[in-house]
Amino acid sequence: MAKAQATSGAGQGGFRQAQAWLHTWCGLWFSWLLFAVFLTGTLAVFEEPITHWMTPEHHAEEAAALAAPAKPTASLGQRLDWGVAYMQEHHAGAGMWELWPADAKGAGELRVFWFDSQRQYASAELDTATGEALAAAGHAPARQTLGGHHFVDFHYELHAGKVGLWIVGIAAMAMLVALVSGVITHKRIFKDFFTFRTRKGQRSWLDAHNAVAVLTLPFQFMIAYTGIVISGLTFMPAGVVTQFGADGAMAFQAALNEPGKPRPSGQPMALPALESFARRGEQLMGQPVRAVVIDHPGDAAARIGVYGWNEDAGARQRLSPTSGLAMFSAATGEVLQVRLPGGVDGGKASLTQSVLAGLHMVAFGGFALKWLYFLCGLAGSAMMATGAILFIVKRRSRHLGEFGSATARVYRLIEAANVAAIAGLGLACISFLWANRMVPLGLAHRDDWELAVFFGVWALALVHALARPAAAAWKEQLGLLAALCLLLPLLNALTVGDHLGAQLLRGDWESAGVELFALATGLAAVWGRRSMARRKSIAASVRRSGASVEAEVKA
Amino acid sequence: MSEWLAGLLSLGLAFAGMAALAFAMERHYEQLTGARGTPPAWRLRCLGAALLLAALLPCVWAWGATVGSVAWLGLMSAGAVGCVAAISAAPRWAARAACALGPGALLALAWAGIAQ
Repeated sequence: MAKAQATSGAGQGGFRQAQAWLHTWCGLWFSWLLFAVFLTGTLAVFEEPITHWMTPEHHAEEAAALAAPAKPTASLGQRLDWGVAYMQEHHAGAGMWELWPADAKGAGELRVFWFDSQRQYASAELDTATGEALAAAGHAPARQTLGGHHFVDFHYELHAGKVGLWIVGIAAMAMLVALVSGVITHKRIFKDFFTFRTRKGQRSWLDAHNAVAVLTLPFQFMIAYTGIVISGLTFMPAGVVTQFGADGAMAFQAALNEPGKPRPSGQPMALPALESFARRGEQLMGQPVRAVVIDHPGDAAARIGVYGWNEDAGARQRLSPTSGLAMFSAATGEVLQVRLPGGVDGGKASLTQSVLAGLHMVAFGGFALKWLYFLCGLAGSAMMATGAILFIVKRRSRHLGEFGSATARVYRLIEAANVAAIAGLGLACISFLWANRMVPLGLAHRDDWELAVFFGVWALALVHALARPAAAAWKEQLGLLAALCLLLPLLNALTVGDHLGAQLLRGDWESAGVELFALATGLAAVWGRRSMARRKSIAASVRRSGASVEAEVKA
Repeated sequence: MSEWLAGLLSLGLAFAGMAALAFAMERHYEQLTGARGTPPAWRLRCLGAALLLAALLPCVWAWGATVGSVAWLGLMSAGAVGCVAAISAAPRWAARAACALGPGALLALAWAGIAQ
């Protein structure tokens, strides 16, 4: 005991022991949150396929659009004219008109956006055959849902806005600390580079923790660091405050994103036809038109910005994910600014941030790289999970008395937190998909109910983990996780009438991918549960050691 | 070259390269041969390094130098994780897989180069 304590305090022992102490505690207290951030961030890579699965009515629309005879689609110039006509009639006073005329191939929807009188971003869709506004009610989502965006939002803000962003930012810093101290602690990083010994209890957990962490270290370091950099100006506001004042965030954003934005002159001038601007913009930036943005429409100082679609092959080979941009003066037709695809305003620092953000969000490289990020993200999640479990496994055989007389109780809480954070989060994620099919359609704030199921199931998992002995809690939660995952395709077939076979036949890999991954997770949970059962004897010895700890503490 | 093919070729080369580096170590060489012995360490290390470098080729080809290097780093990690799992489960099969994947991927790469 005394020896254990002598080597377990900060600043005691040598440099490496101090780092080991730092790694253990920094890693433990943040591992639960970081696991949640990593797992949901990993799922966020496939935000769009998950959203696709969660909006099955959309599939019917797609099929109907394919089956119905194609409507005559208007030319780019016609679409832009319709957009301008609509805005002039209904929102002439808006300071900014944003027209999204077509997709990258010149077909698709025609949408217009503006800021309404409450400074809220508003939009309307126009018919691409007549230019008339489509009734908003006809397009109200039948199945109101956050879709895959839930995972994106949760993994960087925890659905808690700026507070959540700060919490995740601090956790990411802690992860960098844990990575560096972990590398220093790991004495045999090259000798054990390829080592994984199965069925050796604590040794196996340590090997697994080391292997996934060391082998994917470049990814883990990159993803934590770039995650911080994306919100760097929030975490380190001193530069902006010095230049723009304490309330200067808006002014800074305006200066960064809208350099040289003209002031309205007060002299009226009719907006010229937009097609020639759009065509010149396409020539200058080398991308098809995504959006045409008009600042101060109807004023002599109006400015026309033409933005490009980032769908060319070149976009997959650029780390910086920005699209092309060309700015014109409406009055003279003069080119005010050209930004090539991948470029940014604001110099080298902005470009660096754009590249680092691109590295985090893997906008490049297509599906092959998305899968690579997904697998590396799973490895990162496994690193947190194995680390947290290792902490307890290490103390099963021999408790280290870090918390004095409360040690046994604190270990118990840590073990419950492990169950709820690892198996419980898995339950919450799959329940979110179940909720998507079970919550009645047309319910007010339906998307909030789905979210409530996610957090509710997670909270219940924590209560369950606290109420049950650790081994039983693991087995029961893994069993439930397996059942929910394996039954997801059946649920889909019963509620929506879609199934894996049909998805594969119509080439719907997004839906099939979601269900296949759910099945794989289910099988992994079954395997986890069975290997827990195999180690029943170990569980028994834990109970015994738990009892002996309490006896020791009482003595 | 399609991104999927590039990714798979690079992954195959990374797996083979990592396996060569692993079997250059006495511990894993012993797992492979079942007896204590000295592996031809330097030859295996050179081979492993060469295969890992070769894994960069399809990446740069499909994605260009910048995205290609990112893909290469990630695929080397993925190949190493696969290699550790394979060696711990079945060292002989890991070696066989590496012997098939390394030359196979190189041949496919050469074929794609000639075809272009």
